Amino acid sequence: MSVAPLPLPLDGVRVLDLGQFIAMPFCALWLAWLGAEVIVVESRRRMTSRTAPPFVPGMEGNPDASGYFNQICSTKKSCTLDMTTAAGRDIVRRLAGKVDVMIDNYSTGVLEKLGLGYNMVGKLNPALIMVSCGAFGRSGPIKNARGLHSAVNLFSGVADVTGYVDGEPRILGGVLPDPLSGTYGMFAIMAALHHRGRTGQGQFVDLAMYEAMMTLIPEAVIDLTLNDADPQRAGNRDRQKAPHGIYPCRETDTWVAISVEDSRDWNAFCQAAGHGEWLGDARFGDAGSRLAHVGALDAAVEGWTRQVSVGEAVDKLQAAGVAAGPVLRCDELLDDAQLQANGSVVTIDHPTAGPHRQLGLPWRMDSLGVEYRRAPLLGEHTHEILTGLLGIDEADYARLEADGVLS
Amino acid sequence: MAIASQMSAAGPLAGLSVVELGDGTAGPYAAKLLGDFGAEVVKVEGPDGVSTRRRGPFPDGRPDPEASGLFLYLNINKRGIVLDIDGQDGQQALDRLLADADVFITNLPAARLQTAGAAPTALRARHPRLIVTTISPFGTDGPWAERRGSELVTYAMGGIAYSTPGMPDAANDLEREPPLHPACFAAETITGLVAGLATLTAVLGRARTNEGCHLEISQQAAVASMQHRDISTYSYWGGTYNRLLNPTTIGRMPNFYLPCKDGYVTIPAPMDLHWERLVEAMGEPAWARTPAFSDGPARTDNWIELRMRLIDWTMTLSGDELYGLANQTQLPIFQFYPVRKLVESEQVRARSSVVDIEIGNRRAQMPGAPFMMHATPWGLRRPAPRLGEHTAAVLGERTGVPA
Repeated sequence: MSVAPLPLPLDGVRVLDLGQFIAMPFCALWLAWLGAEVIVVESRRRMTSRTAPPFVPGMEGNPDASGYFNQICSTKKSCTLDMTTAAGRDIVRRLAGKVDVMIDNYSTGVLEKLGLGYNMVGKLNPALIMVSCGAFGRSGPIKNARGLHSAVNLFSGVADVTGYVDGEPRILGGVLPDPLSGTYGMFAIMAALHHRGRTGQGQFVDLAMYEAMMTLIPEAVIDLTLNDADPQRAGNRDRQKAPHGIYPCRETDTWVAISVEDSRDWNAFCQAAGHGEWLGDARFGDAGSRLAHVGALDAAVEGWTRQVSVGEAVDKLQAAGVAAGPVLRCDELLDDAQLQANGSVVTIDHPTAGPHRQLGLPWRMDSLGVEYRRAPLLGEHTHEILTGLLGIDEADYARLEADGVLS
Repeated sequence: MAIASQMSAAGPLAGLSVVELGDGTAGPYAAKLLGDFGAEVVKVEGPDGVSTRRRGPFPDGRPDPEASGLFLYLNINKRGIVLDIDGQDGQQALDRLLADADVFITNLPAARLQTAGAAPTALRARHPRLIVTTISPFGTDGPWAERRGSELVTYAMGGIAYSTPGMPDAANDLEREPPLHPACFAAETITGLVAGLATLTAVLGRARTNEGCHLEISQQAAVASMQHRDISTYSYWGGTYNRLLNPTTIGRMPNFYLPCKDGYVTIPAPMDLHWERLVEAMGEPAWARTPAFSDGPARTDNWIELRMRLIDWTMTLSGDELYGLANQTQLPIFQFYPVRKLVESEQVRARSSVVDIEIGNRRAQMPGAPFMMHATPWGLRRPAPRLGEHTAAVLGERTGVPA
């Protein structure tokens, strides 16, 4: 019995992906999975993610075997063009006239110098939606400053609310500013597509990675400007709830996250931990006194968690209705039964690299579809895109190829 | 809907009608994003109001359900009504609202929705064009479906906590430095963004299919999806992340997070080209030209000494001075900004990255637009509602009875 595939929500939307590294390629990744035709412009003369690890062991340096590229460019098309040539830039301009969405995260000003900025392509294609992403955005006095994810962390204020008790500011793990900015970029694209659907009007979107990160810290910004109160770093503690923390378990470098919301939780927590006597301890009587004695409280909790395995701590607390869970390493996510059960872990095969797992969309839909396909080989779609979409004839194509424009 | 038409020029989502039954940050943030970009959002609260009314920050720390900073931030650009969804009248009123709405967003527990007659399957059956966006801690299938989640727990199970402190920062002592969660609603905000995005996906999809959709968002999965890059290493060759400061995780050295005279800086100079610029910026110290630091592998082998040498240098300079050197030498050195310095910075002012908000008759500031849409700007159209402020108006509107 065959079932008609569900319609893809972005079927018919075409995206020109000039993204580098993570932020904008990630933005276009989910668009591709949702049905958009995403064209990645890349060049053999300046490869970035295809030359970056991780590689399939034994295939180091093979541009079709980079996990970095293959996972963030899944379902996309590859068009090789040398944008340092006038003909290459001309082709990108023509592509910009044929797409609905164009995205980039080059350093500020790079596309303008190439004659490919919104000031140019927006005139050629007024219905175009362009999202341009920089660490500090495309306007303001430091728009030209370069910033890696760590700089964005440090500037955005997020580092100021991250750290151990009374300790220095710390930098968040992963490269959160990148995918988070990419996700805001997708939101902007969807909103702009909706607007364009009703008005025909395209537009430019100026996306600053630090502003994406600032959306994580409204409380800190408000407390500072309302009460002149600077953030106090306090580990994993909460200012209203206790216990609230990440505690060590019996095995080395294993941890349990526990958050106790209210007195019902506290009661359940003490019983589950086998420490009913804490209920009679005046220092821990209500949330206010637990917060006042949070050092002693955390030491007591840790005294218990160190005796048990993560699994045991979690099972006991969850059975009692207390929010608790293991601290998972990112490598444990793919093997996590919960993520798997909700369809978040997908396996995508690739002719060079073979099958590999990655995390797909973090949501499910009952009436719309999603499509996970392999990443393109280097230049796999150049011919198709130039002769098909742009209508370049074979003789001209051969000339472009011979001139090195398509490398 | 008179209000929607008055706002037609106000944002890209003008005309979209959203009902939010949310608590905490995730559900309300999803609806806030839609409202900030023009959708007409009705927020439904129970008679006691949502929990963020009790969260603050409050003026001078004095609790007041109408002056909670987080509540006022999360609920700008919404109208607010009170319904008791445990009672039949409230349930019927909610359903009448949903009959006219495009989108329903909730992060209340499934069991609560069920008893309120608002289970997703029932809503989809009764209102075929309605987009139903539900958020749960772990998703609705699998061993954790019925388990209890929270901001901290979903964040920890989404993988980011373990890798914090993270590159080029790192833990100095695995035992004494637990995985870290930032003191903010990071998991819930990420999830709210994902839920808002998923909702818009279905809005675009509905334009083709003329059919509603149930979007089911797992908070754990939303956080985990942000770990895209780090997961690739495990997927491709089984590599796992180590929190300790060492070249295995940080990569080629120097790539450090270091103290300076008045704060902290990152100094990434992993390639020879960067190293040359750094040595020049330091004024060509003799130690930098010794064999121990002569090439990339040597610098990586001797990273402990290299780190000490660099700290000796950075501690003689302020963050601003180091940043100035970075500009001269094109090195991506960057300094730490406390929230205070950020909010007062020229960049934040020039871009209006923070905007004014009134909290208990006092002026404060909150994060503004997450990105700038040039044709359809983000805008503050109305402050967050007082508890039940628009109950009569909204219910009157929907039933045709003037309020």
